[in-house]
Amino acid sequence: MIEIKNLNFKYKTNVALKDVSLKIREGESVALIGPNGSGKSTFLKLINGIVFGNSGSYIFDGEEITEKRLQDNRVSKLFHKRIGFVFQNSDAQLFCPNVYEEVAFGPRQMGMDDGEVDKRVRDCLKLLDIEKLKDREPYNLSGGEKRKVAIASVLSLNPEVLVLDEPMNGIDPKGKRFLRELILRLNKSGKTIICSTHDFEYVKGIFKRVVVFSEEHTILRDDAYDSVIGDEEFLIKHNIK
Amino acid sequence: MADWLFEKDEYIPKEDKVKFIDKSILGFLNILSLIKRKASLSNGYVYSLNPVIKLGFTILIIIFLSLSRSFLFVWTVNVYLFLLLSSLNGEEIKDILKVSLIVPIFTIIILIPSILMGNKLNSLLMLSKIIGTIIAINMISYTTRWTHLTKALKLMCIPDVFILVFDITLKYIYILGEFSLEMLYALKLRSVGSNNNKYGSITGVIGGLFLKSKDMAEEMYSAMECRGFSGEYSSNIKFKFTFKDFMYCLLNTFIIGLYFYIGRM
Repeated sequence: MIEIKNLNFKYKTNVALKDVSLKIREGESVALIGPNGSGKSTFLKLINGIVFGNSGSYIFDGEEITEKRLQDNRVSKLFHKRIGFVFQNSDAQLFCPNVYEEVAFGPRQMGMDDGEVDKRVRDCLKLLDIEKLKDREPYNLSGGEKRKVAIASVLSLNPEVLVLDEPMNGIDPKGKRFLRELILRLNKSGKTIICSTHDFEYVKGIFKRVVVFSEEHTILRDDAYDSVIGDEEFLIKHNIK
Repeated sequence: MADWLFEKDEYIPKEDKVKFIDKSILGFLNILSLIKRKASLSNGYVYSLNPVIKLGFTILIIIFLSLSRSFLFVWTVNVYLFLLLSSLNGEEIKDILKVSLIVPIFTIIILIPSILMGNKLNSLLMLSKIIGTIIAINMISYTTRWTHLTKALKLMCIPDVFILVFDITLKYIYILGEFSLEMLYALKLRSVGSNNNKYGSITGVIGGLFLKSKDMAEEMYSAMECRGFSGEYSSNIKFKFTFKDFMYCLLNTFIIGLYFYIGRM
């Protein structure tokens, strides 16, 4: 589904990704781990077509994603519809007057009729257990509730790939357990999950595969989840645990 | 879980104009990079000058440049500024020259009526002065850190509280700019179809920004109070005076001295 070949990315003179190659198949669940500033967030932005590599290529479902290609309105919209991004900072993602509108934003854009939009919104709210927040303003919610609304607003687009940037950050244990279950269910329903995280305890069992980024902005290891997380020495050596 | 989540949507987007969001994103990126570019400065001559001296002489040069009515003086200053400019990094020379070309073009357009009325020499003089001023201002902005500039203001007898406000403003332009950029990205990623109410979404972004800034202001005030802030702020400056600075002073004093010889006619 996603194939990245020898990709390099620089912010002006700062290298953010160095010769990164990665293949993610449909239905996989992949965790990205690594120290702060190792390029995880940049990588997620790149997958979502917010930034573009300076060299190398990114292929999504058989088609190369380039800045030029995404300038075509339709291509870019279809691409963004198929891949959903939950930002680390939920505040940034919520811009509608109330929770219902927030979740309905995507389906309405897709031109669905009101009945269908309403169904999608209600299903998403129910799935995230935030039905009672329906009429609240997003900015008055707690951190955990904001995260749930952000996820619901992305899910309502029914993306095939769900990208999450540190979803467990600033969430209480109950919320974390809830998100864990949710991600598991979504993955089982056939969605590809890509997620950057620092929190190993609560993501146990979600991911089968881990990609480790190094402080030098390269991919250090790409392996089965249990084998990486079990390798205490490796994790400590590379500033992950 | 709902059935539709298990299925893939057959979805083909409709044609819609999204230039609006893209342009806003580019605009923000541009402003942010202006502030961010101060992260690393090279070790060139103009870069390593004492900011207080640099700011002081830049202001003086601009004042005398605008007072002068002599072509000779104005172009001596311009040549001097071009010389200094040529000691910067290539990228920055390019950027500065670009700005100092565009602004005079606008000036020419504004001055066209006056030129047609026969005021050719004065218009040319004005144009030359504008080129010099723009280069001088851009040079200081490209070669000095913002924080150093605000500190340098202290020597111009500007109260500390104002300097504090300048510093905080700069910081928040950056933080809020980055935040709004993220919001625009989020909006773009979810704009997967046709949206007849684009401005409505942008109002949402602006509203979010306002609330965020209000929260941040309140938070910062409490944080300052917790650290013992009581309305007084003293900014400390420690800049060294080196041989390079001495040379710079000498050169500028000479240029300003020239004004009294040739610049006053």
